[in-house]
Amino acid sequence: MELALRTGLLALAAAVAIAGAALATGLAQGRIGSAGAGTIAEKPELAGLMIVLLAIPETMVILGFAVAAMLILKIP
Amino acid sequence: MLVPMTKVQIIGTRNVLDQTVRVLHRAGVVQIEEKLPTVEPLTLDPTAARQRDEIASLLARLDALLTLLPKRLPPKNLSALYESQAARPMDDVISEARQALARLDAPAQELARRHDQLEADQVTLPRYAKTMRQLMPLAAELAPMKNYETVALLVDRKFSAVIDLLRAQLPALTNDQFELVSRDLDAETTAAILVFPREHSPTINSLLGRESIAQVRLPDELTNVPFKEALATVESRLAAIPGELEKIHHDLDALADEWRVRLAVWSAVLHDQLQELEVRGRFGATQYTFVVVGWMPRQRLPALREALAREVGDEIVLEELPLTEREREHAPVVLSNPRPAKPFEFLVRLMALPRYGTIDPTPIMAIFLPIFFGMILGDVAYGLIVLGGALYLLRKAKPGGFRSLLIVMVYCALWSIAFGFLYGEFFGELGEAFGMHPYFSRGEAVVPLFAFSIALGIVQVGLGFALGIYQAIKLRQRHELLDRVAKVLALIAIFAMVAAAAGLLPKELMTPSLALLIVGTVLLMYTIGWIGLLLAPIEILGTVGNILSYLRLAAIGLSSVYLAMVANKIAGIFGNIIIGIIVAALFHALNIALGILSPTIQSLRLHYVEFFSKFYEGGGEGYTPFRREGIG
Repeated sequence: MELALRTGLLALAAAVAIAGAALATGLAQGRIGSAGAGTIAEKPELAGLMIVLLAIPETMVILGFAVAAMLILKIP
Repeated sequence: MLVPMTKVQIIGTRNVLDQTVRVLHRAGVVQIEEKLPTVEPLTLDPTAARQRDEIASLLARLDALLTLLPKRLPPKNLSALYESQAARPMDDVISEARQALARLDAPAQELARRHDQLEADQVTLPRYAKTMRQLMPLAAELAPMKNYETVALLVDRKFSAVIDLLRAQLPALTNDQFELVSRDLDAETTAAILVFPREHSPTINSLLGRESIAQVRLPDELTNVPFKEALATVESRLAAIPGELEKIHHDLDALADEWRVRLAVWSAVLHDQLQELEVRGRFGATQYTFVVVGWMPRQRLPALREALAREVGDEIVLEELPLTEREREHAPVVLSNPRPAKPFEFLVRLMALPRYGTIDPTPIMAIFLPIFFGMILGDVAYGLIVLGGALYLLRKAKPGGFRSLLIVMVYCALWSIAFGFLYGEFFGELGEAFGMHPYFSRGEAVVPLFAFSIALGIVQVGLGFALGIYQAIKLRQRHELLDRVAKVLALIAIFAMVAAAAGLLPKELMTPSLALLIVGTVLLMYTIGWIGLLLAPIEILGTVGNILSYLRLAAIGLSSVYLAMVANKIAGIFGNIIIGIIVAALFHALNIALGILSPTIQSLRLHYVEFFSKFYEGGGEGYTPFRREGIG
């Protein structure tokens, strides 16, 4: 029973880790994306820069993924 | 690598101005500076000014005519044609082009006008015909009468009471000389036809306007024709349009066959001549001499010197100017890299041109980017598909950004295949079914994969710092140098501490590492200034974050593995081989689409954000030499 609880909590923790990070990334990318669309409409030559700026918040979800993966690996 | 540039000054006597401009134009290596502050600008002599104006107006007409004529496949000897025209006296070319325009302009424009008119008719006439056909049954009830006007009305059925209103008002307006018949056409429309003496036309029209009743408007030439005839005319006109269009196309084709190439060659020659005249506005002049200053690649200097000596003679001097630090910063930037790395220049430009005198990251990007991509995608089958797609598109791609991107994709695909063999992946874990053996199974060895990604991060960020420190020393940027050294010290300290805590290094190293971290942080605080007390720790954490960011190499790859796994599992659930294959194909297609887009963006981002930020200085100015556009 205790093992089941431990497994469940670990799985839940992993889910929260990735979900929180993904939500945060989504929020940030939403704003950057809309600003980026405006930027590219006015200055298409900045497209490269906008792609980079858009990709910056993804670090968050990737770190979330790393944490989640480590938690999952702890499940016996 | 950035091509070394030099600033040159060319001084000559005014009688060799024309030859000099021509030699510079053909050499096509000098980017001519805007107006010189120290000397008066050169003004065109009246003949040249007249020629410039004439060419400009001719070009406007030539280019307009060229847009009217259908395109033709350029003949093989196009550039020879261009050269032969460019070598003729310019006045001859101008007068020939003018004569041709005088002959062609009017007929070509007339053809184009009729063509547009017919195409417009093709769209509008069927609409008239439809309405008129609806009104036909009504028109049949009215006999055609001379000096009477016929107006067709369409009214929304909801407002059909307005017709009764009209019927009530018309007797007074027309002395009872009118006829009005109406009928419901369909569920929504009531149609009416009104016939009245022409002399009452203004009053009736204003009445219809007041009541907001829409008249069926016919083309002008049909308004005074009886209804039946009008419909017949419209229908016969519609039937005739395709034939007429074909004849116009035929005529335009004939014109294009005869003239298009000649006109295009003249246009190119005149464009180049116009450039030669207009560039003189940037020259400086005294009474007897002219002077021009510009940037050019240093290695092309001897060739230009030789060309000037050969074609202009000794009444001209070409000398290199000494550069101030400020001028050097504004030198135009030309990237020059070995052939395999060349396509990656496009990706560097996408960010910004590096400033003159700094490091061009293209060769390093050419090494790391495909490896990163391959490490993320890491699947033999996906790699083969990307490779096949890129090679197929390459056969048709014109030189430019897209072509560069495709070549980059070829390298990336090759590395994906290599990593695919390492991971033993072929459409995910299907590889094992084909007897592939994973040397490193990333689905299972997650932690070593993470460690390897971080190690790659340390290598690339470390390389970035090394380049940054080298560049700061070379350009004598004390501030940047201290900043980068401080961050490197702090990074080394942090990693030593982590290793000591994990037992990978002796515990005794903890204290010296902490001391080193403090040294690094204080140095960084000193570099930044007072605000550094706050910012320095954040900056150092950011640098650690830069390295951790390389985790994405593992993470995105794993997500692609899992997606492939899911595709195969779901396909297996159905138990029906055909449905299974279709479902698997759909999932794998999605995975390939994601598998091209996401590793590209992620590897690019690692370069732009994590790697470039350690040394890269953008803001370079492009190189636009004064050269012939030619034809092509």
